[in-house]
Amino acid sequence: MGKIILDKMAMQRALTRITYEIVEKNKGVEDLVLIGIKTRGIFLANRIADRLQQLENVSIPVGELDITNYRDDIEHDAMSSDVKMSNNKINFSIEGKRVILVDDVLYTGRTVRAALSAVMDLGRPKSINLAVLVDRGHRELPIRADFVGKNIPSSQKEKIKVYVSEIDDKDAVELIK
Amino acid sequence: MTERYLILEDGSAYAGKAFGSLATTTGEIVANSTMNGYQEIISNQIYHNQIIVFTQSSIGNTGLDQNAYESILPSAKGVIVREYENLATDHFKRISLDRYLKQHKIPGIYDVDTREIRHHLQKRGNMKASIVDVADDHAFDQLHATVLTNQQVAQVATPKPFPNPDEGANVVVVDFGLKSGILRELSHRDCNVTVVPWNFSAAQILDLDPDGIVLSTGPGSPENLPTSVLDMITEVQSQAPLFAIGLGHELFALANGAKISKLTVEHHGSNHPIREIITNEIFFSGQEQGYAVDPKSIDHAQLFITHVDLVNGTVQGLRHRDYPAFSVQFSPDGAPGPKDSVGLFDDFVEIMARRRDSNDDRY
Repeated sequence: MGKIILDKMAMQRALTRITYEIVEKNKGVEDLVLIGIKTRGIFLANRIADRLQQLENVSIPVGELDITNYRDDIEHDAMSSDVKMSNNKINFSIEGKRVILVDDVLYTGRTVRAALSAVMDLGRPKSINLAVLVDRGHRELPIRADFVGKNIPSSQKEKIKVYVSEIDDKDAVELIK
Repeated sequence: MTERYLILEDGSAYAGKAFGSLATTTGEIVANSTMNGYQEIISNQIYHNQIIVFTQSSIGNTGLDQNAYESILPSAKGVIVREYENLATDHFKRISLDRYLKQHKIPGIYDVDTREIRHHLQKRGNMKASIVDVADDHAFDQLHATVLTNQQVAQVATPKPFPNPDEGANVVVVDFGLKSGILRELSHRDCNVTVVPWNFSAAQILDLDPDGIVLSTGPGSPENLPTSVLDMITEVQSQAPLFAIGLGHELFALANGAKISKLTVEHHGSNHPIREIITNEIFFSGQEQGYAVDPKSIDHAQLFITHVDLVNGTVQGLRHRDYPAFSVQFSPDGAPGPKDSVGLFDDFVEIMARRRDSNDDRY
């Protein structure tokens, strides 16, 4: 068992704070769209959208991004371009939108790099911001988050595990030695 | 035991027995319905010039704890309880409620039906009251003639800045009559605190290079303070993260164009559910509230309403749309009351840390 870094309440507060900061930085919610990166980023994006609904009584579109085909650690064969995007669920245009990419953990930055490529292939957004629940450091690319729930300085030997109640039966962030 | 009287401005009188100081005093009478925490309540400067009626039936039965004072010199004017226990439970069995009240020249009355008084106040609204030896015409004349100061903040806030050093974020606390709970929570989070007088200017505050600024709780109406305080707030809120509590929250609202009204009956207790709008979560907190932000007066282009009281509908929290500045009417530090919302201090510390770490120049 790991050490709990964020419990349920702390996770909720972090998402609440990120939501306020998104409105603050974007001077409102106009043209805002949320795109969650595979599995847990999607649930976090939905929770932020729920908060924006409560706060501003607006429905912000939420997309689901699968970056498998954009990963730099998997060799793609020549056919891969045909199946690109097959698992995305983005039913709206991102042209001219303010995109908030949402992920659970920011680590090397390679996932975000892949996500940026994937989003760019969908159109030309006005801007892309990055919101993450946890920033654990050790970047391998020049990428930083605009909205961070919690900075957790970690060693590369450690693991950070994010649980979301939608699929994990609890809300928590654990540091596993 | 000496018989004494609580007399009210509307002519009512309640007989009871004396404890604490035998002084004759006058103040505004308010009822507090919190179950525990009489020490924190009596020592909270928000009760400056007020006579506190406890609806909890037995008061004094846990003595006084060295670590639970909310100020050094309490400025309440009286304590009314139904049943009073003279116990001292601190390590050295030194301080009981009776002794504490005598030390600070605060009179008390027990053997009074405090819930009846609470009902009376609920119907008639807040008013002046005195604790006297004889409830005759002369006493009522004196009560009617007494004018309570409206410069409460200047009476209880520190006249000089002082440090509360630690090694974390550099926080300036603007003192309007703060309760120690605010400093306690900041200390728990390693904040390096400087407490400054309420009339410090924005320039004086910003000269201290704060990572964040706290506007404290305090007594009385925010409208009794000069508008220079509001100018200070509008200037500092764009320069550093701001967290305002109680009177600080009311001032933050005024500074951002909202209006304040006095509640007919002050609300002191921790029994009102509070809803956090963004998550729809319900929680409880200690509330000591004589004034409220008028929700209709809020400019939604500038402020979010973040929390509402589900019993009386009052605005319990605000947040600025453009700056990391937020405020709550209730006491997130507990002391006394539930600590459901103490995480607001974590949020504040996190916001300061984020801002220090980032090279973002948007402010």
